[in-house]
Amino acid sequence: MNARIGQGFGAVGAPVVAVWRHGWAIYSVFAQVVWAIVTGAIRWREVVRQAYLIGNRSLFFITVTLGFLGLISVYQVASQIQRILPDFTMMGPAFIQLMWREFAPTITGLMVATRVGSGIAAEIGSMVVTEQVDALRMCNADPVRYLIVPRTVASAVMLVMLTIYAVFVATLAGMALADVVFNVDPSTFVSFRLVTTADVALGLAKALSYGFWIPIVAGQAGLSATGGSAGVGWATTRAVVSSSFAVILLDFIISGFGYVVLNL
Amino acid sequence: MSGAVAIRCEGLGKRFDGTWVLRDVNLEVRRGEVLGLIGPGGHGKSVLLKCLAGLLSPDAGRVLVDGEDLARLGPLGLARVREQYGYVFQNYALFDFMTVRDNVAFPLVQQAHLSAEEIDGRVASRLSEVGLGHALDLLPRELSGGMKKRVGLARATVGEPAILLYDDPSAGLDPVTSSKIFQLIARMHRADAATVVVSHDIDRMRAVCDRYVMLDHGQLVFDGPEDALGGAPDTVRAFFHDAAATQRRGGA
Amino acid sequence: MRSLVTRPLATVGQAWLALAATLGGATILLGRILRSLVPPRFDRDETWRQLYGVGVKSAGIVVVTALFVGAIMVIQSAFYVRRTGATSLLGYGVGFTVFAEIGPILIGLMFSGRVGANNTAELGTMVVTEQVDALRTLAIDPIRYLVVPRFIAMIVMMLMLMALGDVFAVIGATLTADALIGIDPQVLIDSLLESHLLDEYLLGLGKALCFGVSISVLSCWYGLGVRGGATGVGRAVNNSVVANAAAIFFIDFVMGWLFPVGL
Repeated sequence: MNARIGQGFGAVGAPVVAVWRHGWAIYSVFAQVVWAIVTGAIRWREVVRQAYLIGNRSLFFITVTLGFLGLISVYQVASQIQRILPDFTMMGPAFIQLMWREFAPTITGLMVATRVGSGIAAEIGSMVVTEQVDALRMCNADPVRYLIVPRTVASAVMLVMLTIYAVFVATLAGMALADVVFNVDPSTFVSFRLVTTADVALGLAKALSYGFWIPIVAGQAGLSATGGSAGVGWATTRAVVSSSFAVILLDFIISGFGYVVLNL
Repeated sequence: MSGAVAIRCEGLGKRFDGTWVLRDVNLEVRRGEVLGLIGPGGHGKSVLLKCLAGLLSPDAGRVLVDGEDLARLGPLGLARVREQYGYVFQNYALFDFMTVRDNVAFPLVQQAHLSAEEIDGRVASRLSEVGLGHALDLLPRELSGGMKKRVGLARATVGEPAILLYDDPSAGLDPVTSSKIFQLIARMHRADAATVVVSHDIDRMRAVCDRYVMLDHGQLVFDGPEDALGGAPDTVRAFFHDAAATQRRGGA
Repeated sequence: MRSLVTRPLATVGQAWLALAATLGGATILLGRILRSLVPPRFDRDETWRQLYGVGVKSAGIVVVTALFVGAIMVIQSAFYVRRTGATSLLGYGVGFTVFAEIGPILIGLMFSGRVGANNTAELGTMVVTEQVDALRTLAIDPIRYLVVPRFIAMIVMMLMLMALGDVFAVIGATLTADALIGIDPQVLIDSLLESHLLDEYLLGLGKALCFGVSISVLSCWYGLGVRGGATGVGRAVNNSVVANAAAIFFIDFVMGWLFPVGL
């Protein structure tokens, strides 16, 4: 009887312990990255190279996904408006504002978490199972500083730039759809009337946080890879899930903070 | 030919997921000697080598390098001690995003004691010593297995380390290349350095090693030179001679 | 100077070729899967095992994601409600976005990450360790044994998780509305129920079904096509999640176009 109870607790407790350990491991990488940045231990040439890779890999993908998002959203909203009150003047401005505040940073963040996060985990995971990370340590190069810090800095910067690009793409797509299907004049749609500095600041703050945390979470998953090709596969999977979830969690925290504390 | 103790293991134990892979290992690695680490596959040789290098931390006992406990050293102390090591990995572990020159120069660049010209000079001379002077600008994927092994060797020895660790240096290589690698191992060994070689290639180890240590199921069952094998348990002698006989008959 | 023009064109051209190859290969795989379904010739034990595995793996992350998605949507909707004063629209705003748009997309993305990537990794590892070849030499069709059970399991699970996710998103929305914005949960739920969101709810489920199809087919296709050891598996997982994400957005657009819902 006691064994059953013990098993029951174990079944519930085991995932909790696993999540806790995972969280602690991520925090430890985070602390090391912050310390490295604060003490200026950044290899700038590697940062630039990583930024180029991140931008290159994500650009087409972001264009496609945010283009479709723009098309869908405007189609849905415009259909509603057409039925209630055919006045489309506020649609464009509100759309652009919502893009800045929420969807451009978050969807871009999720896409980068998927594309770049899995890439980082796959790269670093492969290095772990081929003992290159051990070789780095034997040569006195700390793996977190050498591999993760440059990617973190690059990703934070690139995500901000990609978010700005995403707003542009989504707006363009939405504008095209509104014009072709609902005959909304582009100049009516593309108006920044409702966008305040607070909205832009909120969006950029989110972009910066996502960009900062994605390589930390994905890199940690890569560093914990064990066991050959299977291990690299699991590490990549874990990286995608964890970094996507990190984006959503950060979105909640920043949105909540912005709303409650700063009345944004 | 034994001198001061470079590395000492006291009651070393290592556990993975509840299974003890190494148990109560007491070992001394002395300067000036070449130590051969032998034993059946999967019985802990690579794990022991990584513990000697500080890449794995012990779950029991301790590893002392020149009297200092590796587990107690902070990052600066560990960095200082690591500079003494050269490690050649089983699967070469070359950085695949760097050229051969940058791979070999890497440990020197990290140590940051030397100027760029001095580093270049050392790298070029070390690479020509291993016969790869022409391969400076190639990438690891453009090299054969034997060439990659030699680059790994060059990278491990470019800093003139006092402790050299080789994990299965001739694994997967043809007989001619294997012999060349072991010749290089003999050449890289210095009178004031300690060398440990993990291998199944008993015949070639004979030409290089002064002393042998055998691991069976994670425990040390033999420690001594080849002529002390007479007093060793039958299992040890059987392994030693069987392995040597198989090689002579037709293996690597 | 010429390379400045030809190189981007070549990249775009390559991208389109890769896209065509993926679509073609995936469609063929889908055809083979459907053929194994009618008449039903697939391994039933493996299907049950997959159902269990997929459910256990994804339930947790989907539930937690749904909670946060509901919460975020409430915060964003509250922003507009405060500006316009239309408090009664809060329930509608949250319900519409969660059931019809954001819910399916985010749950789809999370499912793709947790289960799709895992699937590609498993199948890819089996290819690299020659287990798939071994199956063939035993005259077992890998499609019937490996792919179809996963296909069924993922579609069924995706539908169940969508329904479950909707519930938890509403819970998350309610809790946040109460704690952060000070709106009575009852008010929010009433507003939600009065909004007649059945169409949106069904659209969400329909999208979930299509996502289940695309995620399972694409992840299996990438997994079975792995070449090159550890790095190959990592790369296949990478490509698989990217392709799935793009497919999710594309399908979302097409479904939204074909089945317009709303007031």
